[in-house]
Amino acid sequence: MKKSLGAVAVAAVMALSLSACGGSSSSAESAKGEINYWLWDANQLPAYQQCADDFTKANPDISVKITQRGWDDYWSTLTTGFVGGTAPDVFTNHLGRYGELAENKQLLAIDEAVTKDNIDLSKYNEGLADLWVGQDGKRYGLPKDWDTIGLFYNEAMLASGGVTEDQMKNLTWNPQDGGTYEQVIAHLSVDKNGKRGDEAGFDKNNVAVYGLGLNGGGDSSGQTEWSYLTNTTGWSHTDKNPWGTHYNYDDPKFQESMEWFAELAQKGYMPKLETTVGAAMADTFAAGKSAINAHGSWMTGQYTGYKGIEVGIAPTPVGPEGKRASMFNGLADSIWAGTKKKDASIKWVEYLASADCQDVVASKAVVFPALKASSDKAAAAFAAKNVDVSAFTEHVKNKSTFLYPITDNTAKVKGIMEPAMDAVVSGKAPASSLTQANEQVNALFK
Amino acid sequence: MTTTTSRAPLQAATRRRRPFNPRRAGAWALLALAIAVSVVPFLWVLRTALSTNSALASNSASLLPAEFTFGAFMRVFGLQSPADAVAEGGSGAAIDFWLYLKNSIIFSSITTAGAVFFSAMAAYAFARLRWKGRNVVFGLFLGTMLVPPIFTALPNFLLIKNLDLLNTMLGMVLPYVFMTPFAIFFLRQFFLNMSREVEEAAMLDGAKHLRIFFQIVLPNAAAPLATLALLTFIGQWNEYFWPLLVGSQDDVRVLQVGLGVFKSQSPQGAPDWSGLMAAVLVSALPILILFAAFGKKIVNSIGFSGIK
Repeated sequence: MKKSLGAVAVAAVMALSLSACGGSSSSAESAKGEINYWLWDANQLPAYQQCADDFTKANPDISVKITQRGWDDYWSTLTTGFVGGTAPDVFTNHLGRYGELAENKQLLAIDEAVTKDNIDLSKYNEGLADLWVGQDGKRYGLPKDWDTIGLFYNEAMLASGGVTEDQMKNLTWNPQDGGTYEQVIAHLSVDKNGKRGDEAGFDKNNVAVYGLGLNGGGDSSGQTEWSYLTNTTGWSHTDKNPWGTHYNYDDPKFQESMEWFAELAQKGYMPKLETTVGAAMADTFAAGKSAINAHGSWMTGQYTGYKGIEVGIAPTPVGPEGKRASMFNGLADSIWAGTKKKDASIKWVEYLASADCQDVVASKAVVFPALKASSDKAAAAFAAKNVDVSAFTEHVKNKSTFLYPITDNTAKVKGIMEPAMDAVVSGKAPASSLTQANEQVNALFK
Repeated sequence: MTTTTSRAPLQAATRRRRPFNPRRAGAWALLALAIAVSVVPFLWVLRTALSTNSALASNSASLLPAEFTFGAFMRVFGLQSPADAVAEGGSGAAIDFWLYLKNSIIFSSITTAGAVFFSAMAAYAFARLRWKGRNVVFGLFLGTMLVPPIFTALPNFLLIKNLDLLNTMLGMVLPYVFMTPFAIFFLRQFFLNMSREVEEAAMLDGAKHLRIFFQIVLPNAAAPLATLALLTFIGQWNEYFWPLLVGSQDDVRVLQVGLGVFKSQSPQGAPDWSGLMAAVLVSALPILILFAAFGKKIVNSIGFSGIK
């Protein structure tokens, strides 16, 4: 309830913010003083606090005040900050949001600085820097990290089911019979009487362990829910990316995949959608309610941090086109157009995107930094903690990633697709109902 | 509350032995059940607050804390370094607890004092003064109770912004400080029951409305005023949306908004349950203390409604 109230307010405030954007002022003082920096991930706070301390050591005139806010309130406080003139100078930005922020002129273009300070964009993992170039051709952020999708699995459950690590690494999938992926998921599903999902007499209404965990319906992007499957069929969210103007939820290839996905729950291999509300998928996994969870690399610390559970990570299955697929998402640091400390903010953003800071982030083994060299260091840091993250890095090496769909109207698209997807995943509507939702979505771009 | 009601039957039982009464036993059983139902969630919160996050999920059914630690409480009071917190399966999030507590107390106290006082004045006008259109205006007033607060949030926000009061305590308290229709309605009912004779006698002695209000009406309405104050205080203590919109900066951020950072750090991430539960317990303490101090007064004021 609170969440939806917040969403209403954000949408309305967003509209108002058009008239309220502040002009950026650059004065001699702007390379001095305190700048405010916001992020949402508390797990990364220690790393960024160290970056801030190091930065101030190198630039004694500038101090950085870091504020961490929970994801739920992050965007609403940010937008009210834009309107009220109290937004942070620099903040962690998300691909799903920045298009609208740029459109509303809340972001400072940093092309000049990037040219002047000779930032070598080729040192970032391929494609990441380009994501932050808006429709107007201007650059609105420097990449900080990236993420891909992998399959976290409970090693003990796999062992008792006789599924080997090798099998997990070589899963295949297709929307008709689900391939070996569905076979493994079915086999790992166990009902209250101990019968497995692929045995006769499996009670799909009294399941003790689901083969596959579920996070939600996946709304418009399906980042961790279904996009790693649907996009192995050659399907993609939009006609082009970034800045596509046509969504493809009406494609039979997509609907066929979603039909298969929804059936998993009906077969008792995956929890019902309504049971996922208010529950964290990772916690249910740790409580032994699911054997495999498809989730993002940023969750690695969480999954491997649970006491008493051995976790392995396998790459996502190979699809009909002979390749794996994973959404490639990346965050960046952006500067608010209304900042009074423009020069200091640019310095800080450039520092955040530099090897100095990204190596610090890498050493904490929480996320993969955007710089290629730092990414490798992060993988090494994970390895030092006995976590094999090759399932995530493999996507980048083999170029089996596709970009997070970046378009205009993302908030509205999400608003239309969320209930539509929920209806399909919960089995209340056939996948063909997505055609109508898709028409509504595409009408936004006319 | 339970001690006061149980004292009488206990004393009676020592005086003379009562025969077993099944209805009475049933009532006691129901009471015990009600207490259990209301206390067990608190115990569960406490148990979760004393666990580490990383051990919680695999011990989800155990009544005892999973890996006993005070880490979550230390996190709430800002005594744990982010690195230690992360190592405990918590988050690096810390809240500036004492500052937010101070803000919450200021915010709730000002709004409560203002709303109760001004509502009492308005209720006095509606109950004791005779003026044209009184009931129509009162009807309109009551009608505003039908408007959900979300409808007024945006106009209020814009007004506060244009007054340049964002991120100030004044901006946060303004929408609440003058009156609420419920408070006026609540007090009016008490004021209507007050005897007119006392008022008339005071008038004969030359007292004007102001004096009657302060020296006769207010003192006689102490109990309902205390009840209203407590209800308002609790409501304000739990207020979330408006303080979130207006008071997002640290120096005016209230506790409930501060708790939000524990709730979710990253999309799809599991909340820092033990930290959140510890913070919830600590933030509920002031309300519990208030209840302990004034609980009896409230019960009395509801049981004994006004003077006759």
